[in-house]
Amino acid sequence: MKKENNHNGLMLEEPYPESPRYPRHVEVVMKGNYAAAEAARLCRVGFIPAYPITPQTTIVERLSELVAEGKLEATYINMDSEHSVFAAAMGAAIGGERVFTATAGQGLFYAHEVLQAISHFRLPMVMCNVGRPSIPWNIWSDQSDSLSQRDTGWIQFYGESSQEVLDTIIQAYVLTEKTRIPAMVVLDAFYQSHTSENVWLPDQNLVDRFLPPIQPGEMSIDLKKPKSFGGLLPPEHYNRMNYSFWETMNQVEALAEEIATDFGAHFGRPYSNVEAVNIGPKTRLVLVTISSITSTARGVIRDYPEVGLLKLRLFRPFPREAVQRALAPLSKDAVIAIVERNFLGDNEGAIMQEMKRALYGSNYKMYGFFAGVGGKDVPPVTIEKIIHRAFHRPEEVNWVDVG
Amino acid sequence: MKPALEFLIKDEKVYSGALSCRGCGWSLLVRHLASLLGEDTVYVAPASCFSIISGPFPLRELKANLVHTVFAAAPATATGVRAALDRQGKKDTTVVILAGDGGTFDIGLQALSGAAARNENLLYIVNNNGAYMNTGIQTSTATPYGAVTTTNPGSGFKRAWPKDLMGIVAAHNMPYAATASLAFLEDLRTKVERAKNTRGFRLLMIDGPCPPGHKADPAQSIQIGRLAVETRLFPLFEVERQHYTINYRPEKNIPVEECLKLQGRFKQLFKPENRYMIEEVQAHTDQYWVRLEAMEGL
Repeated sequence: MKKENNHNGLMLEEPYPESPRYPRHVEVVMKGNYAAAEAARLCRVGFIPAYPITPQTTIVERLSELVAEGKLEATYINMDSEHSVFAAAMGAAIGGERVFTATAGQGLFYAHEVLQAISHFRLPMVMCNVGRPSIPWNIWSDQSDSLSQRDTGWIQFYGESSQEVLDTIIQAYVLTEKTRIPAMVVLDAFYQSHTSENVWLPDQNLVDRFLPPIQPGEMSIDLKKPKSFGGLLPPEHYNRMNYSFWETMNQVEALAEEIATDFGAHFGRPYSNVEAVNIGPKTRLVLVTISSITSTARGVIRDYPEVGLLKLRLFRPFPREAVQRALAPLSKDAVIAIVERNFLGDNEGAIMQEMKRALYGSNYKMYGFFAGVGGKDVPPVTIEKIIHRAFHRPEEVNWVDVG
Repeated sequence: MKPALEFLIKDEKVYSGALSCRGCGWSLLVRHLASLLGEDTVYVAPASCFSIISGPFPLRELKANLVHTVFAAAPATATGVRAALDRQGKKDTTVVILAGDGGTFDIGLQALSGAAARNENLLYIVNNNGAYMNTGIQTSTATPYGAVTTTNPGSGFKRAWPKDLMGIVAAHNMPYAATASLAFLEDLRTKVERAKNTRGFRLLMIDGPCPPGHKADPAQSIQIGRLAVETRLFPLFEVERQHYTINYRPEKNIPVEECLKLQGRFKQLFKPENRYMIEEVQAHTDQYWVRLEAMEGL
């Protein structure tokens, strides 16, 4: 009965007992990339255009396997580049299919033009990006790739764990198909993509009840009612199109929160756009993190009762209201320290820019800490260094562990 | 007794009022294509003159769905459209790419090669007018030797040979590829029908008249197209899985200059110091024909 799968150690053929923690789930040990692939399978995606790039490759490899083994009824196509991947994704989304793909670093940069087209065509789809920076060649964990695409009109989520990546992909499909705005779910290179964790896999029917089949929208091909999609749009119409995009984007924060809460009711694991840990009137310092650095910070702050943590799960649109609410209990002397695993060529990192924007008009003391850029490890001791530096005369923007 | 008028196009599948220039090949080409392909067709267009001709929002020239996409990736977008239609059981709907030479020979070549190598069930139409005409006549790798463009201006006219796209495409071992001319409509229509009824990746390269780009008289578009075939500058042939068939053998050996002289883009070749280049074009053209005949014999 036990069937070995050399690729990922996932042995679903074995009669796993239902998880005692989450009914109608099985508990498996799986790498983040396989969790992403399993999420796509559970979401019954119909079209997967693929192109390999480290450290994303095992996502599309696993999906090709699932399709070949008949475990996923989807059209899987090996494309000639990431540019073509996203152009094909665009075509299938206009054709009305549920689309999934994954990329990383250079692949995402290469697809930039098409990312813009997909969002402005208002096409629903979900993609996974496994973050790595730009050439000089570096394949390690860094969020410069996806953060530099924050202005392409895609919704962005950052997952802290493999479980969260899996769960967020399912939520992202509900969100993208409601709003007709594409969504990107980001995980960390290697720390998540190639690291095995416990993952609770929901039953298919549980997912089916949460995520109904995709419905055609205004931007779907109907052979009976022919249309022209995306032709030359004169200024007054272009302006109006973006106005309508903006209106919907403004609803995403609330809608994402609603879907995340609803997900909790269905699956037993509630989520929110941001998570506040130990933020209260006595908190003297708040660390702001995204992705797997959050887990490290969680561990460290257990020894620092005066330090809190603000985890950002939704990054685009930036959850302004949720951030303001989360920080509201802070005293006026409290300090905010932002951990940035990205470098976008400016003085501040991407998260600090967004935090300043979200907190405009309030007087928080805010410091940026570049840490772990290019995949440099951010162990607990680095988080501790950030805490100490933030308490003792930090610069507005600091680099930790350089050299 | 006068014979009854017989029009090739019996059922128009385009609306009136296309935005093309006088003497442009696109409008005539699309009229014939659309009438043969019918309304159960999805067109995919990268940036090209046709992006404009087909109508800015909210206008639409074609009586069928048209998906505009990014310049470099029309065959990729078409791959996605094809996959979606197939998944929905609409396997008989034709998916057609309408591209120019820039979108085919240059920026779109990789996506074209990818789709051809995967043998996607797509029909690719390239209207080859030998330059980026939509942006105002810039050199592409389809621009003929000796032609002037706005990026090979004046005495800096183009001195490189155009890519052999048909050779590149044929090397993909695809089911059907052919050249066609608007001056040989019966041949063109037969090829469109054949392409429509073939499964897998198919490509038709059409010689595209462009009066502003070729510096030619709009009234002479068809005549120039006919001369291009008669002089063997634009031979009519088909390639099925690398098997070549020449469809039209000119009876007379008309020199290439008869075609070149009607196009102002070549006028510098007629200066005494450049006349040897016309001989080079002639030699290149003759050599290509010899090669075609040799390929046909294989």
